[in-house]
Amino acid sequence: MRSTYRVLAMLIALGVVLQAASIAFAWFDVLSAVDDGQAFADFDDDSNVGHLLHSIGGTVIPLLGLVLLIVSFFAKIPGGVKWAAIVFGLIVLQFAFAIVAFGIPAVGALHGINAIAIGVLADRAARQVGASDAVTTPRAPTAA
Amino acid sequence: MVNVRRGQLRLILATVATAAIVVPLGWMWYASLVPETYSVMDMGIIDLGGGPGPSDHAGMDETPGALSVDTLTGPQTGTPDVAMTLTAEQGDLPLEGGPTVDGYTFNGSSPGPEIRATQGDLVEVTLVNESVSEGVTIHWHGVDVPNAEDGVAGVTQDAVPTGGEHVYRFVADDTGTYWYHSHQVSHEQVRGGLFGTLVVEPRAAQVEPPALDVVMAVHGYDGTDTINGRVGETWVDAEAGDTARVRVVNTDSGPMLTWVAGAPYRVAAVDGRDVNKPTDVEDTAVLVTAGGRVDLELTMPADGSAVRVGAGGGETSMLVGQDEADAPGTDVPDDELDLLSYGTPAPLPFDVTAPDREFDYTIGRRPGFLDGRPGMWWTINGKLFPDVPMYVVAEGDVVTMTLENSSGQVHPMHLHGHHAVVLSRNGIEATGSPWWVDSLDVGDGETYEIAFLADNPGVWMDHCHNLPHAAEGLVAHLMYDGVSTPYVVGGEDDNHPE
Repeated sequence: MRSTYRVLAMLIALGVVLQAASIAFAWFDVLSAVDDGQAFADFDDDSNVGHLLHSIGGTVIPLLGLVLLIVSFFAKIPGGVKWAAIVFGLIVLQFAFAIVAFGIPAVGALHGINAIAIGVLADRAARQVGASDAVTTPRAPTAA
Repeated sequence: MVNVRRGQLRLILATVATAAIVVPLGWMWYASLVPETYSVMDMGIIDLGGGPGPSDHAGMDETPGALSVDTLTGPQTGTPDVAMTLTAEQGDLPLEGGPTVDGYTFNGSSPGPEIRATQGDLVEVTLVNESVSEGVTIHWHGVDVPNAEDGVAGVTQDAVPTGGEHVYRFVADDTGTYWYHSHQVSHEQVRGGLFGTLVVEPRAAQVEPPALDVVMAVHGYDGTDTINGRVGETWVDAEAGDTARVRVVNTDSGPMLTWVAGAPYRVAAVDGRDVNKPTDVEDTAVLVTAGGRVDLELTMPADGSAVRVGAGGGETSMLVGQDEADAPGTDVPDDELDLLSYGTPAPLPFDVTAPDREFDYTIGRRPGFLDGRPGMWWTINGKLFPDVPMYVVAEGDVVTMTLENSSGQVHPMHLHGHHAVVLSRNGIEATGSPWWVDSLDVGDGETYEIAFLADNPGVWMDHCHNLPHAAEGLVAHLMYDGVSTPYVVGGEDDNHPE
């Protein structure tokens, strides 16, 4: 459970990096194609690989966050639930920012900033496993 | 002991917390699943719009003597004035002046052949499916055909399988510019090229025909913009002083601006309905809804220079005039024509002040499950597909519908089988010519009030013509009381209209 927790948290952090990469790719792809005279309206999820990947990531990361939270309940990592809940909460917020940004594009900036927060805190959650090892090992006998 | 209890308590808490998350999500997921085979008759939430009618869904199915859409055909006898066969194929599609894409063709080309009929003609089209593996149909977009000829897989017919055929027969009652396209897996087939255009000309005696009458079907194949299947500039010949009518058809999924550069022009018709007393405009663009048509009319400049008809922007446009003549550039005009106040008012053919039914079609967006897939999905009246409205009318009803969009994106709303007149936008009443539409661009934050006469019995789709949106559940139906369809979505014929 503990290593599952750590792997999931690391996957989320990695996922954030891939999301940043895919959306940057998507937009340079669009700009380059528009420069070549293609109509902007022709782009949708299917014809822009970067955007397609970003959409897939946007489904996979919330699932990972959910599984991380559930795993945290069983993993007996001190502070594990807290960090998993924070990460999951930020993912929910990320989703909300995305929804609002379709109507108010400026909110998209918060989507970008929050992404960094998710990455950093998912990494923090992954480190919590090691950190709690250091703390819990000597404490274990006193728990009895 | 304490340790064990604490461990047990922890396990119980963890299990309860997990259940608190997983059970509601699981239930939402399960509740969203759509059966593989279903009838649109059994789908959604009955909306009577304040009129009379059965409130029980199942009861409607079993109403004795219910009229089947199968019986609502065009004339079954009589020699057609226009007869043709359209053969659908799947495969490589070389674009003229562009790349070869994976696509679909009618009679070996995309767009398929242009069909020209004269008002009152009996049109007979035999659809043959040569090699389209998912099956095909033909929907006559904007032509208010009898229901059985409407070509919607799973609603008005079964998809025509490879090797099969289907005959469509209808009278071309209304003049104007229309188009036809497959309504089976349409978000892929139409995009891939399974469409063509249809023009219904007036009887010669009525109107002096323009010297040049040309269709300009705009389509993006896999990101490559074309006009009548060709990439780049398309020249059509016209002489100084000629009257030219350019019939612009937007076969894509998003709104498109069109305009004439180099001469004043007027919008003669929208969605196959003449504009009453259109005035000349210049340096102004007009929006063509996805699926919609706009007929531009102009007089060729006396000095012999060419004019450019733009579509969306960029090189891909139509040049009208003597070949190689000086032509204006490709700049998109800053001004946009507002059809709400264009032309001169005229009396409507029915009284909209006391409608028999009033419907809301409110489009939103929210996270949830669509047939088990998590995501951000469109809602109609607050609910996700398949809990969409089933608007019920009776023949002869005057119907008003309020289309409201707060979903963050534009939606080109297309009602089959009827033309509706725009009454107001964002509370501002229409003051121009009656603005008749079959496809209406409803932007984010916009509210349109439209009205139509329920004069064409059947079961009709009323959906977003951004076809991927339709595939994402932005689909409702309009159904006449006492009419039922024997066809099902899914089923043996694998009908998938969206």
